[in-house]
Amino acid sequence: MRKLILGAIAATLMSSVAHAENVGVSMALFDDNFLTVLRNGMSDYAKTLDGVTLQIEDAQNDVAKQLDQINNFVASGVDAIIVNPVDTSATEAMTKAAESAGVPLVFVNREPINVDTLPDNQAFVASNEQESGTLETKEVCRLLAEKGKNPARVYIMMGELSNQAAVMRTQDIKDVMKSGECQVELQIIDEQTANWSRDEAQDLMTNWLSTSEKFDALISNNDEMAIGAIQAMKAANINMDDVIVGGVDATQDALAAMAAGDLDVTVFQDAAGQGKGSLDAALKLAKGESVDQKVYIPFQLVTPANIDDYKSRN
Amino acid sequence: MPQHPGVYGMATPQTHGVGGLTFDTSKRRWPNEMNVLIALVIIVGIFELLGQLMMGQSFLFNSSGRSDSIFNEQRLRIIVLQVSIVGIIAIGVTQVIISGGIDLSSGSVVGATAMIAMSFAQMGLVNGNPNPTLALGPWATDLPVIVPVAIGLSCGLFAGVINGALIAYTRIPPFIATLGMMVTARGISKWWTAGKPISFPTESYRVFGDGLMPVFIFVALAILFHLILRYTVYGKHTYAIGSNEDAARMSGIKVGRHKVLVYTIAGMLAGIAAIVLSSKNLTAQAGMGTMYELDAIAMAVIGGVSLSGGRGSILGTVIGSLIFGVIISGFTFLRLDAYYQEMVKGGIIVAAVVLDQWRQRRAAYGA
Repeated sequence: MRKLILGAIAATLMSSVAHAENVGVSMALFDDNFLTVLRNGMSDYAKTLDGVTLQIEDAQNDVAKQLDQINNFVASGVDAIIVNPVDTSATEAMTKAAESAGVPLVFVNREPINVDTLPDNQAFVASNEQESGTLETKEVCRLLAEKGKNPARVYIMMGELSNQAAVMRTQDIKDVMKSGECQVELQIIDEQTANWSRDEAQDLMTNWLSTSEKFDALISNNDEMAIGAIQAMKAANINMDDVIVGGVDATQDALAAMAAGDLDVTVFQDAAGQGKGSLDAALKLAKGESVDQKVYIPFQLVTPANIDDYKSRN
Repeated sequence: MPQHPGVYGMATPQTHGVGGLTFDTSKRRWPNEMNVLIALVIIVGIFELLGQLMMGQSFLFNSSGRSDSIFNEQRLRIIVLQVSIVGIIAIGVTQVIISGGIDLSSGSVVGATAMIAMSFAQMGLVNGNPNPTLALGPWATDLPVIVPVAIGLSCGLFAGVINGALIAYTRIPPFIATLGMMVTARGISKWWTAGKPISFPTESYRVFGDGLMPVFIFVALAILFHLILRYTVYGKHTYAIGSNEDAARMSGIKVGRHKVLVYTIAGMLAGIAAIVLSSKNLTAQAGMGTMYELDAIAMAVIGGVSLSGGRGSILGTVIGSLIFGVIISGFTFLRLDAYYQEMVKGGIIVAAVVLDQWRQRRAAYGA
């Protein structure tokens, strides 16, 4: 009797495997706003597809736990695995675990250290960080040119210096300056870190204002710092129409600041799009189709002209 | 040198005993805070000199010609403004350290309290649209400002009571008890909205962080607690427990109860800091207040508060916080990289403790 039941269960399972895709997902952590949007983008997309089941687990920012989850996925015979790595330098072991079992693996959002040596049935889906700072800086340049500010004096506010995105976005500004893609000449007065934080940015901006240096624009690595700087400028009675302020992230607070006419430029990273893209890649690999090993979901420029398209997207 | 400078002013009796301790004030040369003040003046002098040499600008004085004031008032304001919120925490931390304890939880308590208080301070409508960052729902919007303030104060107070009770009645070391609270409170601040920011407070809630309000609150609290520590029984007991807990107990001080009180006051001050911080930034976020506890401890230590307890004053901590503010503004003024700022900050903290140890040894051996 017992054998019969077990056999029946096994048969059901096997038949369901035959025309359904089981995908295991290990997220770095659940309680992060951006990653939550990404995760929801993935599961919402899965619901629109026939026979695709997701099993999403929370690695709670623990490298060891994440590797255990991947091994468990492999052991339970999933068709593909999606990993949002806790630590991008610890991805080698994950690649090996999936490769030796022949299970396709897709890394999402955070670039694995072994991205250039991934086996054929593994891929990486994210946004190209280089785009964010470039889009931001070009739009700031365009607005400065529109106002006839040439040369333009700018302050740069950087995120945490140990963080790749901060380094990259700051480099983007300088690359745009060098490439000649900026219609005006940017003169950097000073660049300092405010550690992604609104509070530190307020203080930094006020410190800058106390030097009574004239400036035309502030280019910030993220929206939070741009908002802090705006608050400091308003407290010092600076007319926000005279200053161009740019940020990155398109957070709700930033969109409100843009609607109020304070923030001029921000850049949207499509978290849900990354979630959808990673599932697409995983399903293709599971069917044995080939995909690009680096899939980039484009960043999108947000300005007062198209702000309404983004109000409900994160 | 006296063992407990800062407890009694020059005008206090020549000798006085608490818990069998005797202070001899006749040998004192000048108050301890004087050393810290001199350090502050020297640091300001260095920035003034470097400013003239490197930037051709004055650090302290008005060289813009935009107004006719003598000083660069904007810079003076930001020097105090940027340390006033951590300064409020440091007032509580100073009392904890004087009582012989330590409080590692204040930064996380600020984060959790800011999140919870801000949830009750949100506007219903932003630019005519529903607030996109609602934490609790429409019922918790546009409430009278007393609601988030009372909730914020209670949160800080509650965290402080738990800290104090754990330390006083389970006898676990303050380091461990407040470390536990540090981790727990940070967990609460992340859990509250699953990491989402809470923004757009009501007009009335914006008052506490507007303009120089954080400075006024900091200064008022500093004066209040400086006087309390110096002239009340509460203050005398705090110093007595920090100097020699057993002796304090023998002399009839209810040590356990007093510790709960000290940590509760520190927790409440963290609650106040959270309200001011979230009001100033018009947002509350799960990561707010990270590392504030260490900055607050550093301000106290630089200000001459001894980590072994029993010595120091709020005035010293306030001067310590100003040293912090001057360094941050000075480095931005000189346009030096942030890396150096952190390195120098670290160096100053260590130097302050080394000096303090050296001073104590000299006092102990009667040099």
